[in-house]
Amino acid sequence: MLSANPAIEISYDYFEVALSLLIAVSACYVALDLAQRVTAAHGRARIVWLTGGAVALGVGIWSMHFTAMLALHLAVPMAYHWPTVLVSLLIGILSSSFALFVASRKKMGPADALSGSVIMGVGIAGLHYSGMAAMRLAAAIRYNTVLVGVSIVLAIAFSVAALLLAFDLREETRATVPRKFGGALVMGAAISAMHYTGMAAVTFVRSTASPNLSHAVSISSVGTAGIAVVTLIILGQTMFVSSMDRRSALQTLELAREQAKTELARLSRIGTMTHLTASIAHEINQPITAVVTSISAALRWQATQPPNLDEAREAMVRGMEQANRVSEVIGGIRTLLKKASPELRPIDINVVIQDAVALADNELLTSAVTVQTELVADVPAVLGDRIQLQQVMLNLIMNAIDAMSMITDRQRELLIKSAKNPDGLLIQVQDSGKGLDVENVDRIFEPFFTTKPQGIGMGLWISRLIVEGYGGRLWANPRDPHGAVFQIILPKADNVA
Amino acid sequence: MNESQSTVFVVDDDAAVREALRDLIDSVGLRVELFGSAGEFLQRKLPHLPSCLILDVRLPGKSGFDLQRELAEANISIPIIFITGHGDIPMSVRAMKAGAVEFLAKPFRDQDLLDVIQLALERDRATRQREAEIAALRDCFESLTPREREVLPWVVSGLLNKQIADAIGTSEATVKVHRSQLMRKMGAKSLADLVRMADKMGVPVPKQQP
Repeated sequence: MLSANPAIEISYDYFEVALSLLIAVSACYVALDLAQRVTAAHGRARIVWLTGGAVALGVGIWSMHFTAMLALHLAVPMAYHWPTVLVSLLIGILSSSFALFVASRKKMGPADALSGSVIMGVGIAGLHYSGMAAMRLAAAIRYNTVLVGVSIVLAIAFSVAALLLAFDLREETRATVPRKFGGALVMGAAISAMHYTGMAAVTFVRSTASPNLSHAVSISSVGTAGIAVVTLIILGQTMFVSSMDRRSALQTLELAREQAKTELARLSRIGTMTHLTASIAHEINQPITAVVTSISAALRWQATQPPNLDEAREAMVRGMEQANRVSEVIGGIRTLLKKASPELRPIDINVVIQDAVALADNELLTSAVTVQTELVADVPAVLGDRIQLQQVMLNLIMNAIDAMSMITDRQRELLIKSAKNPDGLLIQVQDSGKGLDVENVDRIFEPFFTTKPQGIGMGLWISRLIVEGYGGRLWANPRDPHGAVFQIILPKADNVA
Repeated sequence: MNESQSTVFVVDDDAAVREALRDLIDSVGLRVELFGSAGEFLQRKLPHLPSCLILDVRLPGKSGFDLQRELAEANISIPIIFITGHGDIPMSVRAMKAGAVEFLAKPFRDQDLLDVIQLALERDRATRQREAEIAALRDCFESLTPREREVLPWVVSGLLNKQIADAIGTSEATVKVHRSQLMRKMGAKSLADLVRMADKMGVPVPKQQP
């Protein structure tokens, strides 16, 4: 090496190096954030997000490059050929838009990922080296080809990582802030590594020829700070807009979900109503037939010569009983419809169970049923209507009492348990009653199905409707050696959308 | 006609409807028996007395239609009155085609049901009477000798003894003996009487010789 043309001493301003790193990380964070927005958006909104995202990311990488360049202190004055600088910015924006486009598509196969990474990597390297080419100074720039190659490979490797991360984190559920921040840190570090490897490939050799300073501008430290601040502001604003959009998108999603739920509930209620109407037509008809027939019979007994008033009276009593049965059925339906829009609150199911047991206390006592509760103290809260859940528990308790009313050869025992369950919580109501007929196990939840002489077959049906309304399940199994187990699974409060 | 001998059977899964029907049918002095399912009814051995069946269409297990078909298959010809809470026209057509007396929608007018019950019992009484007559005639027919049974269709078809003798290849005198024997055994007072009996029994009448 000629001593007349020695390499220029270089040094770095570490504050500005740190600043360049900060910009790189911020830009990458914004990029990850925007990949989500681009993915979620459609039509024109998608183009706007893609463009905005590409500009933010492009400006970010570009700004990182120039901040890093200004961290470089040379013993000769430096200026930049601004048209080339603009070209480098354009390259940055174009490669960023391409990368965002690839990462936001529905699918990203290995070929997509690879070609996307190569184009993005070459773009970043292009930005870097065109930025270098914009330098105007009284020195010759020499490149170490091996290190240049390494920097390009690093740029492509960085792009692979960036695309995979962006693709992976674009789903709302996967993209937590710490995850995105971690991803941005890795990407920012990679981008910086690429830059400083590129810089290590450079040797500045003092030259006597004065630089061509046409279209060249010099950038002071104040200018650097300006670039950095403006960039950070752009990135910050992009993030802000993105988060606002996400919030409104989430609200829209929430709204749509709510509407879908209401619609679903309405449809299922209509479905139930159709079913119900057919059942009512038949089941109200039964007691009405009995009423009409009994009263006719009473009139006939009363009209005989001499009138048979005992028979007439008996027939009328039967008629009245059946008229009451009609009103019970209607009452049940009214209760059901009234409870169509319950008030949902986090509920401690143990309290509900204890309340229901307390309400049934008198019945339990007169029916000689012993109650035992095994309630797990820290069961998760469920979202529900306290009165409705109480109704369900009370229904199950009353059922158990009825099922045990004919039992004389063994203890009448009622056991109520609450427990945690992977889906939320599990409630069990066990009795030692007459058990379940295999053929009736599914029918007991049908409207108007009953095995009790005085039952109208509404209780279990309504209970199941309520439980299913909360996204839960209610079913029954025979219990060994006798009796039945009614089981409820309810989703815990934070699982309910 | 002894009303208390006639029985109305009721098959309905609704206890209240059954009891109410008992009230109503009792009030007109008919015997009534209640069943909660088709299976219970099938276990009851039916009496040889006029009776009818009030049958709900919708039953647990075997439906009313199933029971109607099983009774027909077992050759039990009890008149059936269907009652249903949610009947439609196809359902009633089906029931009537299969021989039901009536198809009533619940709730029905008491008089409508009682009228139909009377009709059904009347029909069953007539059926039983006809069946009894046929059975009696069959008994008489069974008492004939093979030759007399051979001669009977020719007599019924209005041929003279000589023509019959030619047709079956015997003498006129022999045919004359067979004829008087079979008239006596069948208890027929005249040729017209015998023709009516043969018709009831469904004896095939041979074509008259030219």
